[in-house]
Amino acid sequence: MSDAFIWSVVIGMGLANFAVRFAPIAVVSRMRIPRPFMRWLSFIPVAVMGSLVAGQVLLVEGDLVAPWSNPYALAAVPTALIYHKTRSFLGSVVAGMVIFIALRTVM
Amino acid sequence: MRLGVPIFLGYMPVGMAFGIIAVSIGFGVWQSVTCSATALAGAGQFIALAVMKTGEGLGAVLAATTVVNLRYVLFGATLSPYLRGMPLSRQAALAFTLTDETFAVNIADRREGRSTGWSMAGVGAIAWLGWVTGTLVGAVATGLIGDPSQWGVDFAMPAMFTALLIALAEDRRHIVVGLFAGALVVALPLTARIGIPIPASWHVLLASGVAATTATVVWRDE
Repeated sequence: MSDAFIWSVVIGMGLANFAVRFAPIAVVSRMRIPRPFMRWLSFIPVAVMGSLVAGQVLLVEGDLVAPWSNPYALAAVPTALIYHKTRSFLGSVVAGMVIFIALRTVM
Repeated sequence: MRLGVPIFLGYMPVGMAFGIIAVSIGFGVWQSVTCSATALAGAGQFIALAVMKTGEGLGAVLAATTVVNLRYVLFGATLSPYLRGMPLSRQAALAFTLTDETFAVNIADRREGRSTGWSMAGVGAIAWLGWVTGTLVGAVATGLIGDPSQWGVDFAMPAMFTALLIALAEDRRHIVVGLFAGALVVALPLTARIGIPIPASWHVLLASGVAATTATVVWRDE
């Protein structure tokens, strides 16, 4: 892979990722937003997280694998409980990683 | 700080993973760090590396990162009511540091009535630092620490997302929407079997859109 190609990817990625974030903020914050759209927006964050988590812990290379034989899915359960109890992102991530390593070792 | 530090520590290992993989496919240390510093795109950066590795050109790489990060259009639109009247330059700075984690943390904080423009800026700055520092460490350390997955780095991102999901699922409706979107993502790969394959990069976006739209239509009261 040539140096020039890598730099062009780096620069292009910077521009593309900024555009996709900035455009909606700049445009939508200057308009009046209808109520149903606001309600729709209120469901977006949890929907995105739900689908991200499901995709990351239940699927392996795009295929559904049995959760009881998948350390990602098994480790996600205590991680969720720990966050629910402690409300600490750091604590949950560290504990989740430790549990994940332990599960992967014994499985 | 209270909100930013966990993101910093959550991003470090994932940033390291990016640095390690980037260097392994031919990036220089400064190229990996510049990429993280300007794109700050998490999954979007990983998918770009994956596409580059298959030998595709610039267009395919940029298309992949954009599609994966289309969810930021939804995030930006969700945050925008809170950003009314803010000067364009401040909005640009916040947009730049908008990620899954900073978004979820800011939205959760806002619902508790605590978030301000400054706290959002602080969260963004700390998150950026964690991501860039992690990439630098990963890129430099490649070859020194051996296989990073032995440290559980593979689970760093899923663990962060899991905690964020719980943070955002604040009432029964949100829980139902989150579960529905998750079920859709798991079901979407099956579309390939009935002859209408949908590219995997669209799954998260499609599942979230369908789940949120269904909820809006079903629960009309309020």
